[in-house]
Amino acid sequence: MSLPEPIQRAIEAFAALPGIGPKSASRLTFYLLREQSAALRDTLAEAIRGLNDVAYCQQCFNFTEAGQPLCPVCRDPHRDDGLICVVEEPLDVEAIERTGVYRGQYHVLHGALSPIEGIGPDDLKIRELLARVQAGRVHEVIIATNPSMEGDATAMYLHRLLAPLGIKVTRLARGLPVGGDLEYADQNTLRGALVERKEM
Amino acid sequence: MRLLRLSLQNFRNYVRLDEETPRGVLLLVGANAQGKTNLLEAIYYLATFASFRARHDRDLVHFDAPGWGCPAVGRIVAEFQREGELRPRRLEVRLIREPNGIGDTQCRRLRREVLVDGMKKKLTEAMGLFNAVLFLPRMTELVTAAPEGRRRYLNMVLSQVYPAYAQALTAYRQALTRRNALLKTLQEQGGDPAQLDYWDAELARWGAPLIAWRAEALAQWELLIRESHWHLTRNAETLRLSYHPSFHPLLEGSLQREAENNQVLTQVPVEQIAFAFHRALVRRREEAIARGTTTIGPHRDDFCFRNNKKALALYGSRGQMRTAVLALKMVEMQWMERRTGRKPVLLLDEILAELDAERRANLQAHIVQSEQVWLTTTDVEGFAPDFVRQSTVWRLDAGVVSPVSAGGDQS
Ligand SMILES: [Zn+2]
Repeated sequence: MSLPEPIQRAIEAFAALPGIGPKSASRLTFYLLREQSAALRDTLAEAIRGLNDVAYCQQCFNFTEAGQPLCPVCRDPHRDDGLICVVEEPLDVEAIERTGVYRGQYHVLHGALSPIEGIGPDDLKIRELLARVQAGRVHEVIIATNPSMEGDATAMYLHRLLAPLGIKVTRLARGLPVGGDLEYADQNTLRGALVERKEM
Repeated sequence: MRLLRLSLQNFRNYVRLDEETPRGVLLLVGANAQGKTNLLEAIYYLATFASFRARHDRDLVHFDAPGWGCPAVGRIVAEFQREGELRPRRLEVRLIREPNGIGDTQCRRLRREVLVDGMKKKLTEAMGLFNAVLFLPRMTELVTAAPEGRRRYLNMVLSQVYPAYAQALTAYRQALTRRNALLKTLQEQGGDPAQLDYWDAELARWGAPLIAWRAEALAQWELLIRESHWHLTRNAETLRLSYHPSFHPLLEGSLQREAENNQVLTQVPVEQIAFAFHRALVRRREEAIARGTTTIGPHRDDFCFRNNKKALALYGSRGQMRTAVLALKMVEMQWMERRTGRKPVLLLDEILAELDAERRANLQAHIVQSEQVWLTTTDVEGFAPDFVRQSTVWRLDAGVVSPVSAGGDQS
C-alpha cells in the first residue's frame, strides 16, 4: 500500500470495528477525506472522545452519564423496583424500552456465559444481581437473555441460583414471528412455541 | 433420480463446466489428477453438503491468485429429476471465499449459500432433496481405519435419509465443543460445575435422536446385508453388522459389550435414551473434568463387521473385507431407495479395478438398474466392450470435459 500513513491508520481503525470489512473501511475513510466532510470529522472526533465520560449505573450496570451514579431508569420513582429484567447488553434494554409495555427495572449482565470465549459467572454481573435480589423488595426476575445456546445456558444457570431465593423467575417466551407462516417456521422456533404455549 | 444438467464454476480445477448429463452409465475417463474425482465430489456435495475428502470446504474453491479475485465464488448448480415429480428441481450451492479480516489475501473465511429452485434456503432444508451413494477406492479402509471414518460414513448416509439428522448433528457438535471448552476451563482453573447443567441437557437432547437413528439404520442394514452378502459369497459366509454406541442406554456400567444387539436398542424410546444419556453425563462429570473432555456420546460411536462371528477388522482377509464393504454399499442403495422412494444417483470412483472378475460382474449387474451412474476410470479398456458401448464416455483433461460417445440405449 502506498497511501499516506494517516489514511492507512484510519482504514485500519475502521476495519477493527465489528461488521466493517476492509472495503467499507476504505470507503468510510475516503468519504471523511472529502473537503465537505471537515465538519463531520470534527463532530465524530468530539463524539468519540465524549464516550470516555460514560459510566456504569451502580445498580443495573446499564450506561449512565458521568457524575450520575444511577441511570435514568433506576432514578425513575414510577418504575416498579420489585421487577427486574435481566439482559445481556445495554442495547437489549433499548429494545425492551421501545416496546413501551415494561415498567420494571433492568439488570445488564454485560455478556453471556460462553465456554468458548472463556466467560464464566465471575466475568458477568451475576454476583451483583444476587445481591440486589437478596436485599429484598424484588418479587420477580424476568430472564431476557438471547435465544442462543449461550443465552439459554446463562438463563438456566441464573434460574438455578435465583430459584432457592423464593422469588418468581420467568423467561421470555419464544414464539413464532408475527406475520410468519407456520409451515415455514424452523423446527427450533416451532418446538419452542409449542413447549411454551399458553392457555387462552 | 438423475441429474439432467451439471454446471460448475471455480470448483476445484473446473473454472467452468456446463454439461447436460445423460441417463444410464457415464464413464469419466482420464489420467490421474485431471479432475475425475472432483466431479464426483461436486455431485456428492449436493447430497451431503460436505466434501468427502477436503479438510476445509474453502479448498473446494478454485483460487490461485492471492490478493486477486478475492472474494472468490465457487458454484455447483444441478438440475435433477426426482421420480414422481412433474418438473426438474434446481439446486445451487455457492461457496464464497472471503477475507477473514484485513490483510487476509488468502481469503480464508468460507460462507455457503444454498438455493433451491432459485430461493435461498437453510442448508438443513435442502438436505435430502438429492440423494447419492458414493463408492470410494481403498474400500477396505472402512473396515480397518479408525472409527472416525465409519462415523463420517454413517453421518453422510443418514443425513440424506432422516430430514432432521443433519440439524441434530450440528446442534450436538456445537454443544459438544462448548461443553469440552468448559470442561477444560474447569479442569485448569476450577469454577462452578453447575455451569455444566445446560450443556449436559443439550448433549442429551441432540445426542439421543442420533443414537436412535443410528440404531435403527444399522438394525435395518443388518437384516438386508445378510441377503446381499450371501449372494456375493454364494451362501458360504455370514456377515453381521453391529452398532457400538459409546453410550448404550441399556448397558450403562456393564462391560458386556457382546450383549449389544441392534434390534434391542431400536425398541428403546428416544426420550428414554435422552434421560439415560443425561444421567450418565451428570454422573461422570468428575471424570470428564479430570480429563477435560466429554468421554461418552455419539461422537465416540462405532460400528463393526463380523464375518462368521469373528471381527472382520482383526481376522478378515482383504478379499473378505472388500466383499463386506461391497455388500454394505449395495444395502445402502437398497435402503436409501426404500426409505426415500427414489433411486439414488451412484458415484463410483475407480472402484471396479479393485474387484475380481466375479464381484465386478455382480456389481455391474447391480448398478445398471440405477437411473444414473457416474464411473471414473483411468483405463476404459478395463471394461467389457458391451458395457462401454452402452455407456456414455466423457474424456477429462485438466478440468475440461470432451464427450466422446453417447450411450447405446439413450432415450
Ligand atoms: Zn440503572
